[in-house]
Amino acid sequence: MMKTTEKILRHSNTVRIIHWSVAISGMLLLFSGIGQMPMYKRYNVVLLPGLYWVSDYNITLVIHLIAGAVFGAAILYHIVYHLMQKEFSAMPRSGDVSESIIIIKAMLTGKEEPPHGKFLAEQRLAYAAMGLTSLVLLLTGLIKVYKNTGIVILQPEFMTATTLIHTIATPIFLFLFVAHLGAFVIKENWPLFPTMFSGYVNKKYADHRHPLWNYKEKK
Amino acid sequence: MKIKRRTFLQGMVAAGTAAALTNKVDRATADVSDSSYATLIDLTKCDGCPDQDTPACVMACRAENEHKYPEPDPAMLKPYWPQTKFEDWSNKRDVTNRLTPYNWIFVQKVNVEVDGEMVETNIPRRCMHCDNPPCVKLCPFGANVKMKEGPVYINPDICFGGAKCRDVCPWSVPQRQAGVGIYTKLDPIPAGGGVMYQCDMCKDRLAEGKVPACIEECPQEAMVIGTRSEIFAKAEELRQQYNGYIYGDKQMGGTGTLYVSQIPFEKIDEAIVSKADDPEKAMRVHDTPYNVIDNTSHWSSAALLAPVAGAIGAFAATVAVKKRNKQEDAHDENN
Repeated sequence: MMKTTEKILRHSNTVRIIHWSVAISGMLLLFSGIGQMPMYKRYNVVLLPGLYWVSDYNITLVIHLIAGAVFGAAILYHIVYHLMQKEFSAMPRSGDVSESIIIIKAMLTGKEEPPHGKFLAEQRLAYAAMGLTSLVLLLTGLIKVYKNTGIVILQPEFMTATTLIHTIATPIFLFLFVAHLGAFVIKENWPLFPTMFSGYVNKKYADHRHPLWNYKEKK
Repeated sequence: MKIKRRTFLQGMVAAGTAAALTNKVDRATADVSDSSYATLIDLTKCDGCPDQDTPACVMACRAENEHKYPEPDPAMLKPYWPQTKFEDWSNKRDVTNRLTPYNWIFVQKVNVEVDGEMVETNIPRRCMHCDNPPCVKLCPFGANVKMKEGPVYINPDICFGGAKCRDVCPWSVPQRQAGVGIYTKLDPIPAGGGVMYQCDMCKDRLAEGKVPACIEECPQEAMVIGTRSEIFAKAEELRQQYNGYIYGDKQMGGTGTLYVSQIPFEKIDEAIVSKADDPEKAMRVHDTPYNVIDNTSHWSSAALLAPVAGAIGAFAATVAVKKRNKQEDAHDENN
């Protein structure tokens, strides 16, 4: 007799589509944005097989604009969707910093973690950091894009500040992106990885690690 | 409430349609005002100062801007790792027959065949101060700026010397000097390559109510500065007078420098290309210089409108689901 495992829906289709839209467009934005720095010719990336084109600003600019369109659309979809659904479980709460320290200590020492809701305190903080950085990049990116829609001349000091903020926010985004992936090095987080594809997580895992998550009440 | 895949896609289609509709509203913003500065260069008058070793405009520019010229740190004059070369003009400051970090204007001399005769043409060359300059709009550090008054200016305190501005300029105007600028502070981290230099239309002189040095010293009065409307009118007047041609009014989507010539620019361009050691690097007067900003503006418009489309899509999808849930609840109650 085949043993079946009961599953709990953790991420809806909408959430997963938006997540992967942001993730894929984010990677393309990083790749094309670094190409716009310019870095690929300087550091001989163009000499790698099949990458002779990456120093072409025309190509990387078009990639950046298309990926930026997807990124911007997905972020606004995410904000409006969750506002209208009144879903704020990923937003940081009071005490998340101290709780995150406890969680990290527990992970390092092998002690029991405190009970979690749908998201861990550190996940909520990471979400806020990534969300804030993404919004900064989106806002400054839109200003930069606006001036490229025609003969648009904005105040030079304003444009310099906007451009520098966009450029400085990029390595922060890259760091958070890598840290996000790095979270899956920790064994306790492994069961969460497939949920971004299937949407479902094992009920046993949810009940054990996320006892404060009242998934039955989810619509 | 759960949004099904079909509803989500409906929302995205609605959002996409909204984006497509709004994208049809073509932008025609022209922030370069008629009162901004523009210059006119009359190639019929310019004789290249044949009695002087160096044309007067070049000498005047050098004298005016000498205090802005780079003084590189000798220790930083080393290859841009992992590259094996670096750009140093500090020991070639006397070069006046091309643009360098120490020479922001030069007179391009070319013999053009007109009606079977060779005619010497002298073309003062410097930054065109484009209306929609790709060097400004693509600088990743915001070092290049376009001033409302007309000049394009590179801030040496911010410039990293990546030379992207030169790569996207169809005339390769900005020139790099190694060993100066903010990148030297990062050494030994291998990033940046110096500072880019070019004509800034003597913006400081303009602020003082003076004309640019090159214009002031031109013995033939071949160069004129004025408001954009004045210069465009003057250029058209000269064109009609010479039964000639204008260059710079439409190229790159418009520039702040208009050349007027009795000889067609196609012929001048052919002569420039045929004379050049490397035609790929020739500073041309071709009719269709490539402006990456103009050629990607439709993608920029799409990227600008996409977040609106996303918001509309989410709103439409959520409203549709709520409506459907309401109908289903009513249906359940009736049964």
